[in-house]
Amino acid sequence: MSKHQHNAPLPDPVLRVKALESLLIEKGLVDPAALDLLIDTYENQVGPRNGARVVARAWTDPSYRSRLLRDATAAIAEMGFEGRQGEDMVVVENTERVHNLVVCTLCSCYPWPVLGLPPVWYKAAPYRARAVREPRKVLAEFGVDLVDGVEVRVWDSTAELRYLVLPRRPDGTERLSEQELAELVTRDSMIGAGVVPGSKSTDT
Amino acid sequence: MKRLEADQVDAVLRRGATARRSDGQPPRFARGDRVRVLNLHPYGHTRMPRYVRGRCGVVDRDHGLFVLPDSNAHGLGECPQHVYSVRFTGVELWGPEAPDADRVHVDLWDCYLTAEPDGTEE
Repeated sequence: MSKHQHNAPLPDPVLRVKALESLLIEKGLVDPAALDLLIDTYENQVGPRNGARVVARAWTDPSYRSRLLRDATAAIAEMGFEGRQGEDMVVVENTERVHNLVVCTLCSCYPWPVLGLPPVWYKAAPYRARAVREPRKVLAEFGVDLVDGVEVRVWDSTAELRYLVLPRRPDGTERLSEQELAELVTRDSMIGAGVVPGSKSTDT
Repeated sequence: MKRLEADQVDAVLRRGATARRSDGQPPRFARGDRVRVLNLHPYGHTRMPRYVRGRCGVVDRDHGLFVLPDSNAHGLGECPQHVYSVRFTGVELWGPEAPDADRVHVDLWDCYLTAEPDGTEE
């Protein structure tokens, strides 16, 4: 159901984007077909399902997991995911003792080839400020309650490296196929702002 | 400015544009070294977050050579330098009330850092 009312004026940012787009096209600076392809790529082709496939493979294939932790860029490229904003990747692994959380305090850097474009909260000032200052409170607000003694490692990706969290595999999933496992993996668990439903590291 | 055509989109996205370089300044630090972030407040572009300036940490890993944004953003050349993941304790950054087991890793260029032989962190 669209909430759009035909007689309501469009919001300012939408009007501004439309004005800029038509000017850029009119001046020949932008190919509208290229623009459509770019939008389609990040709306429909590239997203967190890519990262979920990487995670599921790491859970089921120990040699892939060690390649992924040693040279994430190459291991992710093996799955066909590479390029813009994923040129230099690092994968950090959650364990019984360590929970990783990714943030970009200076802007909104995010590993596009495996996670797509960042969610709004990831780009918002409160998350960027608080993830480094009080990560346990932020995690609790996301529903991640850490057991006492678990180390929280926050990765501030303000340089050229992009980070993906390898979340913990839930217990009782030994019989699931790689594809079924991939379906369990959530976007937030690969940022560290969540855990895969059913997995420990939380005391729920 | 070169216009991006529709038939180039896939290849351009796939290729990306890495800021990693094979040649540049030799590294001044190695894994395990104690370092302090310089207390600098440049007017231009920098990737040195304010909350780590003047703080002490430990080099956790060396990511290799990358274009230095502080010079490149101003058209002053790529000046590739090593980028390190520097590990800070929550206590060092936020004071004694921060949980003991909090760590923040920040990727910092070589020229942002100075050796800290007497550091007490970790």
